[in-house]
Amino acid sequence: MRNRYRRGNRHGQKPDLQNQSIYHAQDNYQYTITKAPELAILKSLGIVENASVYKVMTHRLGGPVLIKVDSSDIAIGKDIAERIMVRR
Amino acid sequence: MASCHDLNEDINVYNKPNKILLMGNPNVGKSVFFSYLTGINVVSSNYAGTTVTYTEGTLKLDDETYTLIDVPGTYSLEATSEAEAVAVGFMCSNPVAVICVLDATNLERNIKLGLEIKKYNVPIVYALNLLDVAKRHGTAIDVNLLSRELGAPVVPTVAVKGEGIDKLLDELKRVIKNPEKAFDCEGCKTCPNCAGDSLNEWDRAKEIAAKVRTKTEGKPSFLDRLGDSMIKPWPGIPIALIVIVASLGAIVGGGKALRAAALLPLVNNVLVPLFHKLFSAFVPEGILLNVLVGEFGIFKIAFEWIIALILPYVFLFYVVFSFLEDSGVLPRLSVLFDNIMRKMGIQGGSMITILLGYGCAVPAIIGSRTATTKKERLIISTVVCFAVPCISQTGALISLFANFSPILLILMLLMSFFIMFVVSFILSRTLKGKVDPMVIEIPNLLVPNGKAYGKKLMIRMKGFLVDAEVPMLISIIIAALLKETGLLDYIAVYLEPIVSGWLGLPKDAVIALILGIVRREMAVAPLLAIEGLTALQAFVGGTVALLYLPCLSVFGILTKEFGPKVAITIGFSTVVSAFAVAGIINQVAHLFV
Repeated sequence: MRNRYRRGNRHGQKPDLQNQSIYHAQDNYQYTITKAPELAILKSLGIVENASVYKVMTHRLGGPVLIKVDSSDIAIGKDIAERIMVRR
Repeated sequence: MASCHDLNEDINVYNKPNKILLMGNPNVGKSVFFSYLTGINVVSSNYAGTTVTYTEGTLKLDDETYTLIDVPGTYSLEATSEAEAVAVGFMCSNPVAVICVLDATNLERNIKLGLEIKKYNVPIVYALNLLDVAKRHGTAIDVNLLSRELGAPVVPTVAVKGEGIDKLLDELKRVIKNPEKAFDCEGCKTCPNCAGDSLNEWDRAKEIAAKVRTKTEGKPSFLDRLGDSMIKPWPGIPIALIVIVASLGAIVGGGKALRAAALLPLVNNVLVPLFHKLFSAFVPEGILLNVLVGEFGIFKIAFEWIIALILPYVFLFYVVFSFLEDSGVLPRLSVLFDNIMRKMGIQGGSMITILLGYGCAVPAIIGSRTATTKKERLIISTVVCFAVPCISQTGALISLFANFSPILLILMLLMSFFIMFVVSFILSRTLKGKVDPMVIEIPNLLVPNGKAYGKKLMIRMKGFLVDAEVPMLISIIIAALLKETGLLDYIAVYLEPIVSGWLGLPKDAVIALILGIVRREMAVAPLLAIEGLTALQAFVGGTVALLYLPCLSVFGILTKEFGPKVAITIGFSTVVSAFAVAGIINQVAHLFV
């Protein structure tokens, strides 16, 4: 009965598995980046189009997204994470 | 990749002969290598015209002496940030050799940098570091294959344990003696390794990493698991709070112990009497003698304040802070508190700089250079000046509230956070410009290496003595002159209406206001001497001290970093806010009592 009202993930959006922002994507999944902001720091860390990253979790209340790129742990603030689009 | 021709080459350090560069990603452990390879003579310098610092030391190999330069860590050499531009500058300055430190737990990215560095045709040796951590993560690496793929010697190392350093030096010597033999490739035009742009380097790096790496049974250690758990809200936040409270306890407790056991006796029994005797011998009684060695004399207060009051706490602060930094705890705190920082208008990384302010505002303001935008720098610096008490002031405040209920201390803490929040919030809405969101790599949680830690501590103390002590000395001279010439009492009369009427403090508290301009804990210390202080008065006095002007050393650094207009604005607003807030607390409290 509870699930009737829970369409989409806990951020209240219906996820499009082929194009969602990594901020809203489901935790503990491997994703491929489809679009990333053109920032030098992201490029240096390997967060670019077609890169494969593992999303660990999103901190609540506006906190960062934790991801693993190859073997490094990276934390990305909400405002940038929302603009990184991924697909499963 | 930036070309050598694009650079401005009139920097002195470039012209030094016999340079060896230590390069690599941030957090790979370059400073550990640096501390093993260099002696005591280590200098930390700021790269002219940038906010980038590098460290230089001497390295002896057989009979030759070299200057070893710890180049700031970079993720790549594409010269898109200041640190990268500096790194490229160093690569173009004809170094004798390069030691490139690779992180075995992050092969792809590190190999990419390794390939970019190789293109500059400088003899190179690679150190494959953090192998012990890689093993725990379940990764094994074929070092010989990696060496063949990179076309240069690769030495496996565990820097924090000192393993592999000797072999590294041997390979370094060999590579310097035979520079041509260092390369297996026949030159960039024919070699597929060197062709193309950065995208090819990423692909090539991934290719090499895949070839040399094999998955094995991973056994994460306690620290690995702790490190992973600390970046999640649970149990991260409770752990972070415990760490912060424990750190404060260590600093205040250790500082007190150091002061009582060693420094205070040194000052009271040795230094002060010595100088007293010295000057009394040939300076006649009178104002001059008093200014030198009297109750508030320069040669008494300088020792009492600097050596017995400030130094123990500042030293302990750096001991704890450097430990938190080297062990990898600080970036985890940034992650946990990023959401709060965002609401304040800044980002998680700023938290580290603000924490530095709890030691002394001067290194915090200098440290704010790591912020990516000027707006963020200004916000951090202003917040530190307003509501972050330096360690000496914290010690004095704790002493002040010692005789009253601990609730006062907690209230003061909460109030300081509130003010920080408000100031940051307002500034983020009113200042022009933007604040870049946080993007940070989280390093492994490790036990810091003793040598590197000690070196860092020494560099920090040296820096503190130069940046903060000299203005402090000037302040002390001013304080001594004011007191001994009677000027202090004269000014006190004029400030009475505000002090007694609006703030409700006893007359003697006026000294605190005047001396508070000079040193922050001197805004608290005179209150300790007043008898019969009520809890409310202590709280009001403490509030004034907390929000009041930053000390003269801070003014100096503010003027240097941001210009006199900013310094004066901050000075003015802090005074106004101090009187306003404290006075309101006093008046409102009287309505209820």
